[in-house]
Amino acid sequence: MPGRSSRLTLNQKLALGAVVLGAAALFATPYPGSTVTLDTKELALVVGTEADHVEAPELAAWIIESRADYRLIDLRTEAEFAQYHIPTAVNIPMNVLTDAGLGRQEKLVLYSEGGIHSAQAWMLLRAQGFKSVYMLKGGLDEWKDQVVFPVVADNPTRDERARDERLKSISAFFGGQPRSAAAVAAGAAVMPGMAPAATPARPSVVAPPSPAGGPKPAAKKKEGC
Amino acid sequence: MAMMAPLFKYGMFGEETSLVLAFLIGIGFGFFLERAGFGSARKLVSQFYLNDLAVFKVMFTAIVTAMLGVTYLGWIGWLDLSLVYLVPTYLFPQIVGGLILGVGFVVGGYCPGTSVAATATGRVDGLLYVLGIFAGMFAFAEVYPLLKGFYLSGSGEAITLPGAFGLPYGVVVFAVVLMAVGGFYGAGLLEKKFAAPGE
Repeated sequence: MPGRSSRLTLNQKLALGAVVLGAAALFATPYPGSTVTLDTKELALVVGTEADHVEAPELAAWIIESRADYRLIDLRTEAEFAQYHIPTAVNIPMNVLTDAGLGRQEKLVLYSEGGIHSAQAWMLLRAQGFKSVYMLKGGLDEWKDQVVFPVVADNPTRDERARDERLKSISAFFGGQPRSAAAVAAGAAVMPGMAPAATPARPSVVAPPSPAGGPKPAAKKKEGC
Repeated sequence: MAMMAPLFKYGMFGEETSLVLAFLIGIGFGFFLERAGFGSARKLVSQFYLNDLAVFKVMFTAIVTAMLGVTYLGWIGWLDLSLVYLVPTYLFPQIVGGLILGVGFVVGGYCPGTSVAATATGRVDGLLYVLGIFAGMFAFAEVYPLLKGFYLSGSGEAITLPGAFGLPYGVVVFAVVLMAVGGFYGAGLLEKKFAAPGE
């Protein structure tokens, strides 16, 4: 059968080609090293359009939905993390960030107390070739202001009432409670059971690390077949 | 900046385009399954009787082709391998899942992809198999809360062969190529030994 023998020859040729390419791959280094080319224009565009931000209410929704296609990283110290952290967060302090073995294929959301450390960490990771790095806008401060202790109107209109109900349930989910607008304005907003206020406008939280009935560490999202 | 893959992660196109591309790639996948004869349950199950190992050969060829492709694309700098999504490893759940898939393959004559290819060419057994897949997914979703503990047991890390064995990437590539070529040779011998009578 001439057809069969010529097909086998092609297969053998292909096999030989694969072996040669495989042998040459012994000297290949397909993973790039620690040096990458930064496209500063692209970075500036990302910064300018705030495409690298995740807002606190958005993150809250992700946690409530148990979304698992991202990793939430707390950049503060271990002690601060132990005192309070956003549920599902993992603690990777700033000083060990680059040795933490994070996968560059992962979507990362960074947060710190305010936002400066997370912005610096964002730049570090971008410079290492991480592509999907995001920051929690305003850090823990805004998280507490907008999610855990949201401000609700004292004499709400109908539209405000619906919004406040939603804020209340989200706040309860994360173990907090809403503050009244008048109390915030008067600067006397110390929540019962909370540590004394550091600033007049917002109580400093010592909320439980994981509220009862709250979310559990989310499972990783499955991709592929 | 030169174009660099993974294109989606570099923002070269959006969600909609990626779905269109996934559709086209899926059509291509189905086409080549059909061309390899995998639209026929007879062809597929004959690998379990060791008289036709085309499935093994086609799949291993695909693995070697893709592996060499990403290796060289990474080497010349067109693909950032560290950004490629890796399926997390949950060892024991995946072993159990693999066994269930294997049993389904032997009993039903198809695997998920080939059953769709068979359905597309109008095979009723393929269609029934696809319906079975959906029934299985529905049942699984219903009992998922009970299975969740086991389903997610294990580290869930993305384990790679170079990482697990502590070997350089290129050595693993070469070893897999040799394994494939050896496997093709062995498959040829097996096919001769277990050739169905009359062939």
